[in-house]
Amino acid sequence: MPQPMRISRSLYGQIALALILIFSATQPIYGQVDIENGKKLYKTNCASCHKLDKKLIGPALGGIMERRSEEWLILWIRDNAKLRASGDADANAIFDEYNGSVMQAFPQLSTEDIQNIIAYCEEGDKKAVAVAVAPVLEAEEDPTILLVILGAFLVLFLGLLIRVKNTLKQIQGDPAMSLKDDASYLIRVLANNRRFMTFLTVVLAITFLKVLFSWMMGIGVQQSYEPIQPIAYSHKVHAGDNAIDCNYCHSSARSSRIAGIPSANVCMNCHMYIDGSEITDESGLLKYHGENSPEIAKIYAAIGWDPVDRAYIKGYEQQPIRWIRVHNLPDFAYFNHAQHVTAGKVACQTCHGPVEAMEILFQYSELTMGWCINCHRETKVKTDNGFYDEASSHGGQSINERLAARFHDASIMVEDIGGLECGKCHY
Amino acid sequence: MNNNKVYWKSVDQLAQSETATTFAQNEFAEKIPTTEFLGDDQVMESQTSRRDFLKYLGFSTAAATLAACEQPIIESIPYVIQPESLTPGIPSYYASTYVDGEDYASILVKTREGRPIKINAGDDARFNNSTNARAQASVLSLYDSERLRNPQIDGSAISWPDVEADLMKSIEVSLASGKQFVLLTGSIFSQSFKSVLATLRDRYSNFSHVEMDAISSSEALDTWEMLTGQRALPLLDLSGTDLIVSVGDDFLSGNSVQHIGAAYAKRRKPGKGMLRHVQVESNLSLTGSNADKRIKIKPSEQGAVLGYLVNRTTGSAGLASEGNLSTALKAQLDDLAAEMRAAGANCLTLAGNNAKGHAHLAAAINSGSNAITMKPSYLRSGSDEKINNLMQAMKDGHVGSLIITGCNPVYSRPGFADAMSHVDHSLALCDRLDETASLCSVAAPVPHYLESWADYQPVSGELAMSQPTIQPLFDSKPAIEVLAHAAGISSSAKELSEATVVNTYGLGWSKTIHDGGANIKEGPALNADWRSRVHDGVADASKFANATASGEWELALYGNSVGAGFQSNNPWLHELPDPVTRVSWDNYLTMSAADAMKAGLVNETQSNGALNGSMVNVTLGDVTLNNVPVLIQPGQAAGSVGLAYGYGRTHAGRVANDMGINAYDLNLTAGFAAVSITAVEGEHEFASVQLGHTMMGRKIVNEVTLADYMNDASGESWNEKMTFHTLDGVKSTDEASLWTSHDHQTMNMWNMSIDLNSCVGCGACVVACHIENNVPVVGKEEIRNHRDMHWLRIDRYYSSDMDKEVATAEGLGGIEMYAKMEEPSSSPEVVFQPVMCQHCNNAPCETVCPVAATSHSREGLNHMAYNRCIGTRYCANNCPYKVRRFNWFNYIANDKFADVNPAQDDLGRMVLNPDVTVRSRGVMEKCSMCIQRIQFGKLEAKKQGRPIKDGEVTTACAQACESGAIIFGDVNDSSSAVLAAKKEARAYHLLDEIGTQPSVFYQTKVRNRA
Repeated sequence: MPQPMRISRSLYGQIALALILIFSATQPIYGQVDIENGKKLYKTNCASCHKLDKKLIGPALGGIMERRSEEWLILWIRDNAKLRASGDADANAIFDEYNGSVMQAFPQLSTEDIQNIIAYCEEGDKKAVAVAVAPVLEAEEDPTILLVILGAFLVLFLGLLIRVKNTLKQIQGDPAMSLKDDASYLIRVLANNRRFMTFLTVVLAITFLKVLFSWMMGIGVQQSYEPIQPIAYSHKVHAGDNAIDCNYCHSSARSSRIAGIPSANVCMNCHMYIDGSEITDESGLLKYHGENSPEIAKIYAAIGWDPVDRAYIKGYEQQPIRWIRVHNLPDFAYFNHAQHVTAGKVACQTCHGPVEAMEILFQYSELTMGWCINCHRETKVKTDNGFYDEASSHGGQSINERLAARFHDASIMVEDIGGLECGKCHY
Repeated sequence: MNNNKVYWKSVDQLAQSETATTFAQNEFAEKIPTTEFLGDDQVMESQTSRRDFLKYLGFSTAAATLAACEQPIIESIPYVIQPESLTPGIPSYYASTYVDGEDYASILVKTREGRPIKINAGDDARFNNSTNARAQASVLSLYDSERLRNPQIDGSAISWPDVEADLMKSIEVSLASGKQFVLLTGSIFSQSFKSVLATLRDRYSNFSHVEMDAISSSEALDTWEMLTGQRALPLLDLSGTDLIVSVGDDFLSGNSVQHIGAAYAKRRKPGKGMLRHVQVESNLSLTGSNADKRIKIKPSEQGAVLGYLVNRTTGSAGLASEGNLSTALKAQLDDLAAEMRAAGANCLTLAGNNAKGHAHLAAAINSGSNAITMKPSYLRSGSDEKINNLMQAMKDGHVGSLIITGCNPVYSRPGFADAMSHVDHSLALCDRLDETASLCSVAAPVPHYLESWADYQPVSGELAMSQPTIQPLFDSKPAIEVLAHAAGISSSAKELSEATVVNTYGLGWSKTIHDGGANIKEGPALNADWRSRVHDGVADASKFANATASGEWELALYGNSVGAGFQSNNPWLHELPDPVTRVSWDNYLTMSAADAMKAGLVNETQSNGALNGSMVNVTLGDVTLNNVPVLIQPGQAAGSVGLAYGYGRTHAGRVANDMGINAYDLNLTAGFAAVSITAVEGEHEFASVQLGHTMMGRKIVNEVTLADYMNDASGESWNEKMTFHTLDGVKSTDEASLWTSHDHQTMNMWNMSIDLNSCVGCGACVVACHIENNVPVVGKEEIRNHRDMHWLRIDRYYSSDMDKEVATAEGLGGIEMYAKMEEPSSSPEVVFQPVMCQHCNNAPCETVCPVAATSHSREGLNHMAYNRCIGTRYCANNCPYKVRRFNWFNYIANDKFADVNPAQDDLGRMVLNPDVTVRSRGVMEKCSMCIQRIQFGKLEAKKQGRPIKDGEVTTACAQACESGAIIFGDVNDSSSAVLAAKKEARAYHLLDEIGTQPSVFYQTKVRNRA
């Protein structure tokens, strides 16, 4: 039996020392300040214009205490216009440096809040420490192992039976038959059995046809298609974690046949500020060591944004991002997003699946004609639309009235208004 | 019992025994090319055995099958910065103006994702707000891959600064050497352009500007300049006109500067005061086909006819000389003159030729007409005299620097090429290396009108704007910018237009652009005292008008859909058959049947159903046109022949080059002359889409005279409804049916009304349909094989002198009667009938499709699912209207069609409508009633939460029709125009007796016979 591992006294001492050091490092000089609260306030109030380590709209705030006094900062943050009006040289100098762009006043922040923010600015985020972590491979339970074991048992059992049979034959005085003789005898008997052979042929033929049919039905069906995109874009981060509405980026889904892939300038609405340098990994450490995310940098490269100068590069030769289309319909099938999203009020997820949980987007549905037709059979028409509800401008019956006359009180499915007709999708 | 009767398979078999006999003896209609294949030595020497061949065949089939299973990776590339006004998948519309040197139209351009894909008629407030076939087709000329891509000098590329430096140098040299600096253009009616010209004139003392129209209106302009003091034609107003008399003016064909088709159709609505139209002409023109009465004359008699009418309508007999008109013709003209006198001020007379004196005589007849307004139109200003002077100056070596833009004089003016060789430096600002540009020292591309800014003043009081709808495709520069640079103005075309709009006219720039133009202060009106002065010059004018020598043969030129030839390289215009002759991809000499027989010229139908014709040489003076094909044309005046402009191009591009005969070579600025004709050996192959020319006594086009129409408003006597006697009593064709009826009451029910009285047969709808529905162009050979793909065709029928009553009177038997019925009359009445899929509610095609690829919808449409079709063609066989078109070839990739099909090159493909499938080989296709527009319209309504408005959804053909002959809409909307049309007494279904219950119905044609 192995001996239980013994932790030496000196190791305990080292851990304790490390803990003290870490603690003392996070709670160093400022006495009663609350850095966590400071971080929270910073993210809410400051982060849209400031970064700790570099210039954004305003100057970098890391190490601010080396440049400014706490009193000055409190006055500035509370109401910088007043400070400038008082003729403060530093205040006016920084105002001029930033071409007169005005910083918002924060009279609601208490002195303590501001101290907390300053403390956070001094402290900063934890930097990622490069630790080589060996990936842990978990052995998954594999059902094939069970099958192999089972198969082995069966073979053993068969051997046993043959053994028994041979023993019995020996007892009878017959010559023992080898395994090969046995097998060839069996095959001979079966091959001469017409019924068996017919049965076998039919079974094989059906199996072959079934396999062929399934294979052929699968031609062109790209369900679960998950191509590698030029940018490792995550719908989970955008639509899931940050709950951005689908229509924000795919804005034409409401009005056009095409949902549209957002152009790079739509990405820049957010990514002008979010450059990925604050993305943390599982351990809460900065993933890119405070550098810009290389994936977000691809947007900058496409549109010609200089993240250092924080400006678009003049005369830049822009390069569109060449996304790989995931959902492909053949040319002869006409699909219109607006019809489904706006008129039919179908949720995006009905066809596209739980996109908000997809790290890499894949084709969730089959996108076959049978799949479309099925939905048209099972979906009720949203007849509260004025298209159905109102009569034409000069009288006559509305479509709803006519539908009621025909279908009485039955609910009206898409197929009832012609949703299965060829020409609705093929023209 | 022996049966001795002989049956003929066709009339040909009876009449033309040779072809028919050969045809009857051969098992196959066409020779099977076995010798061609076996004669190929390589094939015979090949080492591949039959077994090997089968192996390869099997392997390649299997490989192809497997390869087809691989899914291609499709990229989806968004904009980097998406324009705010653009939503992918939603069209944007821009008001603009179509000007191509010949036509003028105010238009609305439909663009998708930044590509113009369709031209529609412009705003109602604008002048000429309708599109003819050429305006419709012009969007394809933008994507013509034969356009010049960059400036060239002797075939090598140079830069624009070099072009301008070269031009400046040549101007300075011409100035120093005392030679002229000349700008030759088409008619200019742009204020900005004129102001640049004024600066040029100030800057260079040796500068002069010459305007030239390919089909000249110079004589009419001279006349009106003399009469009114302005070099402009008066605008016409048909609102009060009761009688139009046209002497050789083809005003409906879209070749006249003012689009009066809409006004004409409006005045031709049946009822009291319906406009009557009399045409006096030699060729059977499109306009003549629509006339209530048509008088045939020889071209040289036109002057005399006008003179005769002047003497009898103006009350001053003997004013004009009358020539030697036949008694029979005089009798007809006397009747006409009586009508004209009765109509008084409500009569309008038009003269169509550019012969001296004609316009003056017409003006004299019109001196009391209320249709001639005092509002000038500036669309034509070319002067034959100035061009002749220029050519003389060039020959004499007086021209040092010549700039040519907006015209192609080497093609349309014989002798110009020779004159150009004496010019020191010439610059062509052109769209392609055409006949003229290829002879110029420097050729530089100008943008297409859909790529450029321009302002126009087509008529007094109207400012029209042209705006770009796409970035310039090539390294082009507008002519106005090059000229401005020469004039020392460094402004772009846009800046120049903006200056005109904002500074000259004091208008808002954005609003003017948005509206496609604006109404501005009217310029000086024409001098009204011309009405009293016009008679003074009549004697002289009539002397000139009668000066044309008559001859055994007289040729009159005309324009068909190709027009003057500016867009000759546009395959849509060639694929569109001539509305009257129904021949496509050609021009030819039209000749009457009697003359042809006399001259031993024939038109024969071949065993494959294609038409061949004899050829002749046509000589005028020292010019001979060789091997001109002859087409027999009913209604052609005896002794006259006709020939269309716009063909015989040599440098237009791969579509047009060497197709047809160049009529300009005869140098017929007057438009007609006596010629001599000699028959030559050989046969010409025509691509005709219609071989049966008469209705054979059936009610295909229903006609009634105005008097009968007025007498019986119910239509019972002239629009008898077919009935069936059934077990349940007498039933109408709409009620009697073997099938369970469809539910057409619940949803929208789309119907279409086609008014045969308004339709003039121009063919704009056919081109519009081609564009909207990505209909492939198949080219001449396939049209000869009757594989044309037109979803919409316009059938043209001639009346025949034979009918059942005549046959009974003459005691003719059935066969003889029907044989004679096939022959059109020599002076036929003509009808046009647009036929597309009739969307039958009991559709014969649906019942025979083995795979249910064609089926009926709740909205009254006959759907066609291309992806389901396996190409049995049963449906086409069973279609009584013959509107289904089988897609025989992979037109978008087959090399055979590379020259004609625009979808075969990357540029031409941009014109395709992204909402309509591009069909592949082996499927049946047909009119879908523009279902993509119906679906789009319904969705727009649903998006806005309202019912569809009447007129909101319309088909491409209805939209393109300037005379409003086609009405489309929902008959379940009680207020729709189409429902009102359906209830009209004139409405009838085509082939009603077969009980197909179509969704398309026609309105009876009403003839205003005297």
